[in-house]
Amino acid sequence: MINNLLIVLVISFAIYFLIDILFLRKKSKRFIYRARLVNVLFVLGILSGFYITITQMTLYIFLQIFLLNIAELCVLALATTGIVLIFKTSVTTNFAQGTMATFGAFFAAKLLLYLTRFVDMSMTLKLILALCASAFVAFLIGLFIDVVIIRNGKNVNSIGKQMITMGLVLLLLGLMPLVYGLIPLTVEAFSYDVKIFTLGEMTLILPDHNYYSLIITVAILLVLFISLRFTKWGLGVRATASNEIVAGMMGVNTRIITAMSWGIAGALGGVAAFLYAPVGSQVSVSYMVPVQVNAFLASVLGGFSTFGGPLVGVVLINLFQSMASFFNSVWSNVIVYTLVLILVLAKPFGLFGKRTAKKV
Amino acid sequence: MQMINIYIKALFKKLSRFSKHPYFGFVVFGIALVIAQLFSMGGILSQSVMTSFVLTMIYSVVALGFALLLGYAGLASLGTAGFVGLGTYLIGHFSGTLGYPLILTLLISLGGAVLLGVIVGFISLRIEGMYLAIITLGLAEIMKEVFKSFSAFTNGVNGLSFRDFNIFGIAISANAVNFIVIIVFILMIVATLNIIKSPTGRAFLAMKNSDSAAQSMGIALLKYRLIAFIIATLYAVIGGMLYMINQEFSIPQKWSLDFSLNILAAVIVGGAQSVTGIILGTFMIFGLNSAVLQNIDFFVQNPSATWILNGTLIIVVIMFYPGGLIRLLKTIVYKVKGWYLQLRHLWRIYRYGQDSK
Amino acid sequence: MAKILNNLLLKVYLSRSVRLIEKKELIEMYLPISEKNIRFRQTRRQDFIDAQLKNSLMNFSIKAGEPSELATQTKLECLVKIEDRFFWKQKALEMTLKRKEKKGILSSTETVEKNKLLQEQKLQSLEKCELQFSANAYSENRWKKEYHLKKEELETLAKLRKESFDAKVERKISTQRNNAATRVGKMNQKIEKMNLRLLNLKTHSTQHNYSIPEDVILKIDHLNMRFGGLLAVDDLSFEVKKGEIFGLIGPNGAGKTTIFNCITRFYRPTSGKMIFRKNDLEVIDLNEFQVHNIIRQGIVRTFQNVELIWELSVLDNLLVAAHTIYRSGFFSQLFQTRKFHQEEEVMKSKAIEVLKMLDLLPYQHVYPYGLPYGILKKIELARTLMGKPQMIILDEPAAGLNDAETENLEKIIKTIRDQTGATIFLVEHDMGLVMDICDTVCAISFGKMLAIGKPSEIQSNPLVRSAYLGEETE
Repeated sequence: MINNLLIVLVISFAIYFLIDILFLRKKSKRFIYRARLVNVLFVLGILSGFYITITQMTLYIFLQIFLLNIAELCVLALATTGIVLIFKTSVTTNFAQGTMATFGAFFAAKLLLYLTRFVDMSMTLKLILALCASAFVAFLIGLFIDVVIIRNGKNVNSIGKQMITMGLVLLLLGLMPLVYGLIPLTVEAFSYDVKIFTLGEMTLILPDHNYYSLIITVAILLVLFISLRFTKWGLGVRATASNEIVAGMMGVNTRIITAMSWGIAGALGGVAAFLYAPVGSQVSVSYMVPVQVNAFLASVLGGFSTFGGPLVGVVLINLFQSMASFFNSVWSNVIVYTLVLILVLAKPFGLFGKRTAKKV
Repeated sequence: MQMINIYIKALFKKLSRFSKHPYFGFVVFGIALVIAQLFSMGGILSQSVMTSFVLTMIYSVVALGFALLLGYAGLASLGTAGFVGLGTYLIGHFSGTLGYPLILTLLISLGGAVLLGVIVGFISLRIEGMYLAIITLGLAEIMKEVFKSFSAFTNGVNGLSFRDFNIFGIAISANAVNFIVIIVFILMIVATLNIIKSPTGRAFLAMKNSDSAAQSMGIALLKYRLIAFIIATLYAVIGGMLYMINQEFSIPQKWSLDFSLNILAAVIVGGAQSVTGIILGTFMIFGLNSAVLQNIDFFVQNPSATWILNGTLIIVVIMFYPGGLIRLLKTIVYKVKGWYLQLRHLWRIYRYGQDSK
Repeated sequence: MAKILNNLLLKVYLSRSVRLIEKKELIEMYLPISEKNIRFRQTRRQDFIDAQLKNSLMNFSIKAGEPSELATQTKLECLVKIEDRFFWKQKALEMTLKRKEKKGILSSTETVEKNKLLQEQKLQSLEKCELQFSANAYSENRWKKEYHLKKEELETLAKLRKESFDAKVERKISTQRNNAATRVGKMNQKIEKMNLRLLNLKTHSTQHNYSIPEDVILKIDHLNMRFGGLLAVDDLSFEVKKGEIFGLIGPNGAGKTTIFNCITRFYRPTSGKMIFRKNDLEVIDLNEFQVHNIIRQGIVRTFQNVELIWELSVLDNLLVAAHTIYRSGFFSQLFQTRKFHQEEEVMKSKAIEVLKMLDLLPYQHVYPYGLPYGILKKIELARTLMGKPQMIILDEPAAGLNDAETENLEKIIKTIRDQTGATIFLVEHDMGLVMDICDTVCAISFGKMLAIGKPSEIQSNPLVRSAYLGEETE
């Protein structure tokens, strides 16, 4: 697979430089054309890379792996949306997203243990209750962080706020073993059955957990996006995102909106952690760290300035990972990260991001 | 009699010229550390305290490079962990497994550090601000995966041990290694101070504060960003090498995100622009654990409690004391001086009457 | 092929000659500073020798009963100290007596007793001091003879020492001067050779020879700047003559700062040429240079929003402005070699001169954060004077200044132009300033040029009036 990627990369670079040197050198609008060329090469390169890899991998295996990885896709999508939401409203990258989520997941796991021991309920009901509990606890933590810390740190610049979130990571990481104990806990999936369905001549297996998590994720994200587009609250979020001070002057209640955004981001993380626990590993202190790193890379790849861009980044990274782990499981992470690095180098503000210029 | 007085006064004046030299404090500090090491060899100073000092010194070399990058050039980079790990594996592999002489290993390691710094620098030319922080984070993750998988170089997840460190064939004991650490530490401090006070340091600050002004004064942003990254990577690799010769063991899991975050915490908590602050911050984050807290029961039973302390420290310092602890200390000293002067004034009024000096 | 080689060689020689000239200037500038340091040390040494002489003589003079300066001085100091001490003791005594009186436990005898005690103590100490410095205890004659002999001996010794030290100092200064002169001489030879080669190459070179008239320093030729759909600068052409003060006026949004940003290459103009006469030999097109190389061509600028470096003191801000003049590389800075220290001293003295010229000396070591706006603008102006600029671009220098400060600014700008011979190109809204000091004024509106000419012509131009200055009210 690496050979294919290298070939695609080299060809795209060659085309880029050839066209640049031969045709664009003399033109005055060189930079507009260059940017368009980069975009076109990007799309072509990714598509051709996919095409070559999928033909090598056969479509059947590719679809199968994709269906098996849907749970991770949903988890990543939820985590990324949380990060982007906080970035848009508080202009900080929230490094504590994963740890807030883990806090909620621990609570949910403990709740499950308690319910299993003392209350007689059906498994599905228990899991639903635990899911809501995880989201709720993470929501509360997000609210708490915003009200207590971010609001009082009004005169801290954005780098300072980022470092506050990093401090929060350490704080929560240290707090969790104290509150919940050191042993990792388990969260069961909704069901361990699989759904079998046929597509053309291929019989594909879709684990139930993936199916349910897909439904939950799509529902949550749809609700979120619809409310962002069409409700008054969503308008307020977008207004605060572009300019907090002026939004406040126009009557938008920025304090409630930032608090709600932190809370909702926490809740998204909580749901993500709950859905990831059956798939990835047991609920331990740092089990969401790989997800968080991937979420950051996805947001950078997609561009922080839009809500939809990071989701495209999520899909891309998930596809890269499924393909890479098929070919070479040891180096798969390295391949994925290097690929993302090269893509971000080609488009420094993300696939859909915009460059901001300062007036001199 | 008077002549002797005059000669003594002249001698003190010459010595005081030394003490006014800005690096004098750090040389005295180095001498104090050497004395502490001698004490610990002799048994007067407890071993764990000396270990915490040595660890602080090793990590503050890394923190100094990181502070030049963050506090002076304003570039965010979360990749320090990967570079330090690379340093440990370079010296462990070339001096340990392959047994090359020390000079050759140094050449290879420092050359590799410069090369890596150039690569990261070129990456930083395209990407800015927080995107750069996340990309360097990705870079550190790449390096950690390489460390885990590239067994021929790093012995994989089991970790690499580096037993016999020798210069020109003479084996160096653990105590002598501490002396080497002290010397390198002081040299790094002097180098950092020199850089800060030179046109390069001023160019870094210009780049951080206002890049339009910097460009209009002839400072090529790209060149200085490269230089900043090369310096930071060099410091990190040197810190890694010191770590390896002191701890004699290196494992990939250690060089992960929380190490970078701890270095960041050390720099921020201590004060990002003053060398004393950085050393103080590193001691609080890394050294306090071994030196002080292990004696308190609560922390021994809950080893994660130090993380809570570190996290709260970062948050409190950023929100309320943005200049770091060193500025807090200076403010406290200033205020206490003020109180002392006020009290003295009141006492003078009591003793000597209303309008006295 | 030969042409490409020619051009390459031309570039190489040009940069070499510039570097040689800068090196020579640094040597020349460092010489007076080092002489000043040596002279300072010389005076200090001479004072030290004098003090030694006085001290050696003091004991003898006391014993011999001769008045010696140092002895009388020390005695006076001693007496003054005793007086002072007893003054404070007296005051303390008064306060304690007052307090006792308030409490009511004072007895009349106590006051008198204590005061008498104090006076007795004072007399005792005074007597002791006198005794220490009086010659009565010694037999005078023997010591007198010894004293004179000793005095002569010591004085000749001191004179010899001073003379030898002075001779050493003179030797050192003359050797320094000779060394510097030889080095400068060698460099001058090299520079001459370089100039000859350059002239030779220039005749064979095929570089674009932009020709602009002799007295014109900057020629803007059909400059266009487009931001997406917005045409900020529309086919602008004008010429700035060497050594004049050129003003650019126009309503807000006319594109004045955009023109500055194009000239200093913060923006890349969509089309058009900006031809600049760098020195007598060279004429360049500014489009070929990047932002950070513009200062090396001799153009410096100030910014509309004051762009200072808030984390450095004012003096350091000026030293950053001299960044391109430093000759020492990274490793000399890392090891802080003597060459680097010499350069720092030269730059610091230059910076202090510039600060003196603009009356900013009290703010030398202050951080600019929180200083008044007018002072910040002056610091920016000071920043442009480090180095020898050919053209200084000022972006609204009088914004935020009151009338007195604006008058001061007018004087300063005129002094700068007269002393350094630089061309000054400014944008301003304060018509008083513009009409007073500008030699030529150009008025633009919406990116297009309205008029160019002398201030009086512009004032009466109807286009300018309707667009910007305002019609006369009848």
